[in-house]
Amino acid sequence: MTRYLFRQIGLLLVTLWLLTLLTYGLGHWFPGEFITNSSGIFPDDIRYEDIVEQRAGDAGILSQYIAYLQHLFSGQWGVSLLDGEPVFEQLQLRFGATLEVALLAFLLALIPGIPLGVLAALYFRKPVDHTILTISLSGYSIPVFWFAQIAILVIAVHWGMVPISGQINPLYDIPPRTGSILLDIMLAQPSYLAAALHNALLHMVLPVSILAVMPMMLIIRLTRNAMLDVLQQNYITAGYAKGLSTARVIWSHAIPNAMQQLLRQLGALISLLITNTMIVEVIFSWPGLGSWLVRSIYERDYPVIQGGLLVIAALILIVSIILNLFHAWRYPQVRKDLYGTP
Amino acid sequence: MLLDIRNLTISRDTPTGRVQVLERVNLQINEGEIHTLVGESGSGKSLIARAIMGFLSSNWHIQADRLWFEEHDLLTLTASQRRHIIGVDIAMIFQDAKSYLDPNLTVGEQLGEAVLDQDLSGRWLQRRKQRKERVIQLLHRVGIKNHESMMTSYAHELSEGAAQKIMIASAIAHRPKLLIADEPTSTMEPATRQQIYRLLAQFHARYGMSILLISQDLGAIMKETERLSMIYSGQLMETGPTRALLDKPHHPYTEALLNTSLYRQSQREPRSRLPTLAGTEPSLQHLPIGCRLGPRCANARPKCVQTPELSKLRDRAFACHYPLNLEEKE
Repeated sequence: MTRYLFRQIGLLLVTLWLLTLLTYGLGHWFPGEFITNSSGIFPDDIRYEDIVEQRAGDAGILSQYIAYLQHLFSGQWGVSLLDGEPVFEQLQLRFGATLEVALLAFLLALIPGIPLGVLAALYFRKPVDHTILTISLSGYSIPVFWFAQIAILVIAVHWGMVPISGQINPLYDIPPRTGSILLDIMLAQPSYLAAALHNALLHMVLPVSILAVMPMMLIIRLTRNAMLDVLQQNYITAGYAKGLSTARVIWSHAIPNAMQQLLRQLGALISLLITNTMIVEVIFSWPGLGSWLVRSIYERDYPVIQGGLLVIAALILIVSIILNLFHAWRYPQVRKDLYGTP
Repeated sequence: MLLDIRNLTISRDTPTGRVQVLERVNLQINEGEIHTLVGESGSGKSLIARAIMGFLSSNWHIQADRLWFEEHDLLTLTASQRRHIIGVDIAMIFQDAKSYLDPNLTVGEQLGEAVLDQDLSGRWLQRRKQRKERVIQLLHRVGIKNHESMMTSYAHELSEGAAQKIMIASAIAHRPKLLIADEPTSTMEPATRQQIYRLLAQFHARYGMSILLISQDLGAIMKETERLSMIYSGQLMETGPTRALLDKPHHPYTEALLNTSLYRQSQREPRSRLPTLAGTEPSLQHLPIGCRLGPRCANARPKCVQTPELSKLRDRAFACHYPLNLEEKE
């Protein structure tokens, strides 16, 4: 396990390093000037001379890259070209907001997704299976942006059950600290705590549930396939041969092994989830990374694009490495043939 | 009679119609008997075992005049009733034992599952402790001394022989009346095979447990085996006491198998050709009518297109119109 751990961490570090090369390169490849692209300071600014000095603007590529890394690690990620806000501080806030919806949506997808998938596999080719498959196929085929807008139109506008967009009603004066609204409310401890939480949750219902739909449908299908595969295995037969009850065989042999297969495939789901989070954030004006990045791409806000790209890529990377490590730690038999595969 | 199977027919739907993979097979096993079922791969011998255990999926059709285990008619039992009987009185071990162990549970956990609840007493914690003791005891019985490290091992860390011992330990946990061993040693080296056979023979002697051993090789059967049944392409060819059957086979198939085996090695000329059966075993799509050995049999005659009935002769039985070694019949 230790060897595997080091391998995976090594893989992570190398990939992250390549990522910094890419973002550094972007500063050069974007139209315009390197110093402006990476720091957000225009040449007519009085600070410009100092910035060129600090970022080694006149030196060779290597010392420039080293200066870039130094800035990266000290949290000086430049300022936005648009509003002069420091990118790193903004990122921290928005990262929290994104993580909040993404995590909640993921949980919401897992909790009904796995039992439904198991159920479908147990009733293979019976009406229950067909119903679950039909629902999951249709859920999977509906585009998120369309679904979100219809949901806003019907549930928020027409029925008025939940707010249309945003994170919380601005009347609740919650100072942003982590970006995650629930955490912020708990940290602020206002006198109207319950009311604020209620309002924040109402705002969250639509984006989170819409975001959960597609991963849930995928999880249903993945779980079903994994279960069908596991139920064919010899050790299931052996369980029956021992005289165990069907429920016991499924609970202690089939489901754990199916979960192992599912876990392996969850990594691929993360990037889908993050992409969808971006779309949903834009539609619901959720102050997260996604909406910010999309805006920065429209406005050619290069420092923001660089920072956001780095964070999202690193996030997906780290999550998949953690999944890999967890997989190897929990399921010892895969360790021996896992060496070297990413 | 422990197990009584009469005219067991197992068929399967294929694109070209229903095929009788197993045709009217008889098998009787007495209490405390070791019975070996010999047949080539694909002859349907594992199907018999799976039909007894109830492992066949719904696309197999089972018919039988009798499929009884003790006083239970297995065909009329529901799946859960059957599981109840099987879990206690019948156990099965398999070829490729490793794949029958759950890869995500330790050996100790899996063996613990096989321990019957009625063997334990007391409160939860006490039961837990007893279960563990019982597992250690089982491991010792199958000749595994280092129980501590074995109990925390996973299937992928075991050798094929060790995995089979674990399967045996789990099978004898209930002290079953019948143990079905489906080619338990076919992937093992001869030395390991002898170890496994010795274990089986030992439990047979100690508990009086009957064993149905399924083997594809006459040369690799247990020397303790009391009765042999030869099966070819889904038909029972011959059955009888081992000694008599090997000395004077009545059926040409047994004769042919013996000719290729080590039993008759001394009778063969040095460097002579091995007298094998001509041709290959028929595929399920092209099963011959009548006696399925017909096209390959040296003394086949026109009458062989009718399936021969099983003729009984004292404690032996054979299905052949023109049996060998039957001087007294003429």
